[in-house]
Amino acid sequence: MNVFYLEYLKLKKKTRHWIGPIIVFILIMIAYPLTVEFLEKDLEKGFYSLLWISILLSMMLATEDIFLEDYNDGTLEQTIISISSFPFLIAKKIFIYWFMIGIPISLFSFLFSLGITKNLNISLLVFPFAMICSYIFLNLFVFGSALSLNKGSVLGAIITMPLALPVLIVLGKGVIAIQFGINYLELLLLLLGSLSIIITSVPFIVSYIIKAHLE
Amino acid sequence: MNTELIKAENISFKINENRLFHNLTFSLNKGEALHITGSNGSGKSTLIRIILGITPQSKGSIMIINNNNICYLGHKNALKGYLSVIDNLMLHGLNNHKDLNYYLEKLDLIKFLDVVVANLSFGQQKKLALLRVFLNDSDLIILDEPFVGLDKDAHDFVKNFLLKELETGKAIVYTSHIDCEIESKVLNLQ
Repeated sequence: MNVFYLEYLKLKKKTRHWIGPIIVFILIMIAYPLTVEFLEKDLEKGFYSLLWISILLSMMLATEDIFLEDYNDGTLEQTIISISSFPFLIAKKIFIYWFMIGIPISLFSFLFSLGITKNLNISLLVFPFAMICSYIFLNLFVFGSALSLNKGSVLGAIITMPLALPVLIVLGKGVIAIQFGINYLELLLLLLGSLSIIITSVPFIVSYIIKAHLE
Repeated sequence: MNTELIKAENISFKINENRLFHNLTFSLNKGEALHITGSNGSGKSTLIRIILGITPQSKGSIMIINNNNICYLGHKNALKGYLSVIDNLMLHGLNNHKDLNYYLEKLDLIKFLDVVVANLSFGQQKKLALLRVFLNDSDLIILDEPFVGLDKDAHDFVKNFLLKELETGKAIVYTSHIDCEIESKVLNLQ
């Protein structure tokens, strides 16, 4: 049976796991205007910083125990024995998580951006940045989650967080480029390039780490 | 024609400086069973994991013919507690198997198809996990303590199933503390 469908079925049934990070993201976005003086300009100033950090946190929550359940119930052992391309399976699993969690969060990013800035153009341009960065963060935290498979998710987050910092810098520059009408495409391409390297390397690294854990 | 499925020579395994087993040599042909026995902590499950290629041996060599065609059931059942019985069968690609209903009836699981696995007893979960073994088409079946948690009827059913599989030329490796009345080569880990 199609691995995509199976992973989708598993995630769909674990409602808390996929709705949880989305709700946390929405709550942070709703809480933001409540914490500052209600002046529109002030709201815009810090919004995008908060947006990227919220996406980062949501992706961290989403991957908290991405492999733990399969590790504990013996599914990982079965998978390694029966499926020849374990990295490919991991890549599919990450994609499903992005599809179920990353894309909705990116859509909400667009909506909240539109609500706060009331600028459709900026919000539309921010959307692809949100899509790409959510996928990058997801991959990075999956790597962290694999590293700390049976040692608690906090360790993985601590290891992975510094890797996300360069992405946050590029995102900050991307928003400035969009707001000032400078060519933002280079930054978008830079993120896409990073993503292409990450999505091809992380599944192999993660599969190696998981095999080491199972030994 | 070569009927050998497993050939292990001088297999040793140690954790740090503790030697679990030393210089094990065995082979398994089609239609044969290998019963791995031993006390708790003697390395039965570790040996199974070495055969499966999950854990590397410290010394020696092991050769498995066609290691992509192995049916394995370990201590952990690989069942999802939050999914129903039928969803779990779907996860393992067994929901449309032609013999599924026969085995579900034999194991008294047919009425639990829509029940969440977490609500089944340990024995029922074990039976559900064993369905994967019953519906397999592998040449080599590897089972780690397959009889644990089973009632008398289920125990006999599994035993008879394994005997039939041996007759059809499949090979079986299993660990068990009890005598399962299956004619086997015995590998006793002290």
